[in-house]
Amino acid sequence: MTRWITENPFFVLELPVDCRAVDIERQGQKLLGMLELELAAAASYPTPCGPQPRTDEGVRHAMAELREPRRRLVHELWAGAAVPPPESEADSASGWPEAFTATGWLRSS
Amino acid sequence: MADAVYVGFDLGTTNSSAAVFDGERALSVPSAFGGLLTPSVVRFNAKGTAIVGSRARRFLDRDPDNTRGEFKRLMGTGSRLSFPAADLTRTPVELAALVLEVLRADVEQQVGFAPEQAVVTVPALFEVPQSAATADAARRAGLERVELLQEPVASALAAGWQADSSPGAWLVYDLGGGTFDVSLLESREGLLRIVGHHGDNFLGGRDIDRVLVDWMLERLAESEGVSLSRREPRHRGALRLMTLAAEEAKIELTRAEATSIGGGLELELDDDLIELDLSLDRDTLESLAAPLIARSLALCHELLAQHGRDANDLERVVLVGGPSVMPSVRRQVEEELAPIAGGSLDPMTLVSQGAAIYGASAGLAARTPAKTMTSGGPAASGDGASPSTDTAAKVHRLWLQFPAVTGVSTPFIIGRVTDSGGPRLTSVEVEREAGGTSWSAASWKAEVDAEGAFVVQVELQPRALNRFRLAGRDASGRRLVVHPGAIRIMHGVSLQDPPLSRTLGVALANGRVQTYFERGVPLPARRTFTHRTVEGLGAGTEDRLEIPIVQGEFERADLCRLVGSLQIDAGALAQTLPAGSEIDVTLELDRGGHLSASARVQRTDQVFEQVAHLLVPRADTETLTRSATALNQRLLELHTLLGSAVETAVSTALATLDSRLIDAQLAIEAAQGGDDDAGQRAARLLLEIDAEIDTLEELGAWPELESDARLWLASALGFVSLHGQESEKQLLENAGRGLERAIASRSHALLRQHLKVIRRIGTAARFRNPAAWDSELDRLAADADRATDPRAAQAAVTAGRAARQAGDLERLKRCVRELWTLLPATAEQRLLSHSSGIH
Repeated sequence: MTRWITENPFFVLELPVDCRAVDIERQGQKLLGMLELELAAAASYPTPCGPQPRTDEGVRHAMAELREPRRRLVHELWAGAAVPPPESEADSASGWPEAFTATGWLRSS
Repeated sequence: MADAVYVGFDLGTTNSSAAVFDGERALSVPSAFGGLLTPSVVRFNAKGTAIVGSRARRFLDRDPDNTRGEFKRLMGTGSRLSFPAADLTRTPVELAALVLEVLRADVEQQVGFAPEQAVVTVPALFEVPQSAATADAARRAGLERVELLQEPVASALAAGWQADSSPGAWLVYDLGGGTFDVSLLESREGLLRIVGHHGDNFLGGRDIDRVLVDWMLERLAESEGVSLSRREPRHRGALRLMTLAAEEAKIELTRAEATSIGGGLELELDDDLIELDLSLDRDTLESLAAPLIARSLALCHELLAQHGRDANDLERVVLVGGPSVMPSVRRQVEEELAPIAGGSLDPMTLVSQGAAIYGASAGLAARTPAKTMTSGGPAASGDGASPSTDTAAKVHRLWLQFPAVTGVSTPFIIGRVTDSGGPRLTSVEVEREAGGTSWSAASWKAEVDAEGAFVVQVELQPRALNRFRLAGRDASGRRLVVHPGAIRIMHGVSLQDPPLSRTLGVALANGRVQTYFERGVPLPARRTFTHRTVEGLGAGTEDRLEIPIVQGEFERADLCRLVGSLQIDAGALAQTLPAGSEIDVTLELDRGGHLSASARVQRTDQVFEQVAHLLVPRADTETLTRSATALNQRLLELHTLLGSAVETAVSTALATLDSRLIDAQLAIEAAQGGDDDAGQRAARLLLEIDAEIDTLEELGAWPELESDARLWLASALGFVSLHGQESEKQLLENAGRGLERAIASRSHALLRQHLKVIRRIGTAARFRNPAAWDSELDRLAADADRATDPRAAQAAVTAGRAARQAGDLERLKRCVRELWTLLPATAEQRLLSHSSGIH
């Protein structure tokens, strides 16, 4: 079940749940390019369960999942259902606050 | 500075074509004989010299034994086609390679060099062995790198490229010589999305020719009293001539209201000569072809229904393929579906043009990157900019990534400095050139980070080729030369990764399928699952473990097509494997649907790879006949079972099955006469009939099915309310609503789909409760004596009980999981699993 969170396409692409179709394409293309060039900035992404390694296959899969409206809805649900841990744990869970900010579930301060 | 060009080939059943895309326009390549189409026909003369295309086609009627067409329908099979005059045989792959060689030479004539990389199209419903055979043919034709693209995707891309950018859903109706494909697409915000595919690998213009030949046979029987049979090998020559005459008449009737068939053509029949001279009008042809066209339209409606749409949701339909120009097809498509798109779209060359455009978005320039440019990677394409005329200046080489073609108006250019030394590059400027008087220049700047990388977002002029110049700066602001110094991005349509058109998985010993890739998954894709062996495998023995790879949309393995098999020979094992040994099976598909597979034996750390035997199984006529007889019996029983139900939909389905079974029997007769293609058609038809009979049999058992489904839902709700998470509750609620809809519409497919989700959620929640593992252990312990390895099973039961006693839940789970893998599969299940040796 944690895969719904760790591989959630919104987390993989670091996009908010209300993003548009064109944002998905642009961001996917950007991340694929960065991965091809082996840039460190694209190597991982933050999730509520800590940073996860990012692969080109994962990015393509995430793009495909979000292009399909019904599957996108399910991922929106899971991204939303990932409740942040208590603040003290959040501090220690590297990358966790960024994930929520990126996906639009937390406002950046 | 030569611009990159991209090449696409449409390897068709009847005709093939080539196109070149220069970044702005896709142009069809004329053949050496001037036309835009090259017949997919190969002839070998007595000296063994191959003649391909138009010149070979002329010999189809004069010397049919040494002239072959329509070999595309046999791609991926083990067939060998003979050419007796030269005393040689060739596989369909070798013949396809000859056609591609000719097309490649035509492109060379057009652009000045032979393409080394290209896109070749395949029908959307091609299975893995057929795709692999096509890629093999391309390599034999001299292409160093090839990507396969599904034909409907290619036509959609070409149509999308030429059409206005109006959003909406549309269909690509592709009725080719041998196959019918329909694709539902959606364009939104400049992005082209393939919503889904449907079709029939054995429905095409050739089938219209076949019914026309049947009609001719009836007329000949009436007028001449002769009887020709497809089952008779000695009648094949006459039937081939009649098929050619039928095809010509069909084409003629797209323009004329009436025509003659044969025009006095003499047919040799049992030492007699019969003159073929029949009159045919368009109405007769249309009524003969009506069931086939109706089938194609039914497939369109099915596709729409699968995605919750109907014809009212469609903006337009793009027609592709020769038979689609038949007036009755155009009329019925417009009446039943939607207006036909753009008059300027040529149904015969759209596919190759789309393939060439796709080549640009896949970074597949006709010449390898090393020969045209220095930037690499699939997205790195564009102009081959020369480094600089200022040889004294230090040139900083960049590795760039950007889309050559995109529907995104503000894409990113990403780069990395690949050399060092000289003044350090600290920023990169990207300047978009002015487009004549249409738009002015614009520029953007990005800092180069410590990794030597930069990311810059640019803005494109819509529906135009945008040219960019790149320059660097050092810390003092001094201008530095970079290479490439220029790139170009075409704003058009963005195409997603090609989707897999048939679900692919591995058959398990219990007769079910472990799905690896669902239909629609974007390619490339790679997946690994761990399985366990059903039985032990003794090292050094002659035993063999089979891991069948199947393709199809069914949970039952026997209904899916066997497309390959991974085999582990016990002789190669480093040590004996007991039953339940873990095997990691990996399946990998590239963008063109080419499959590679490997199996890693965990215990010995041995990897068995590239052992997938990718071949469409040969259709043996005895097996086909037995299978048809058995299906006929089941169909008769179904008539008895459901006959009184008299629901219109059911009686229509039964009538369709009756007629399809007759089709299959006719195809088997033709296969008995030596027609391999008919054998393949019969095999597929029988599989489809089997699956449809299954569905109707379930319909007979609908009340039980519905009650079972409700029971599962109630159990799942119970487990989830006690042990589930909030998200599971919401998902279950959705699935429950879906189940009610499936029950209301009496849709088996939907019911199974939702039931699968409900079971998964319910099971996950159930096993969150430690007590569930206790009761599962007791249930399995009762069956332990029937396990594939009873001693191992008994040991697992004992260990599980000890773990329970000790309160060690994790150990208990491990024991239960081990017992699951040792559960027996019955002999009948093994038979239906293509002899799979794994759980």
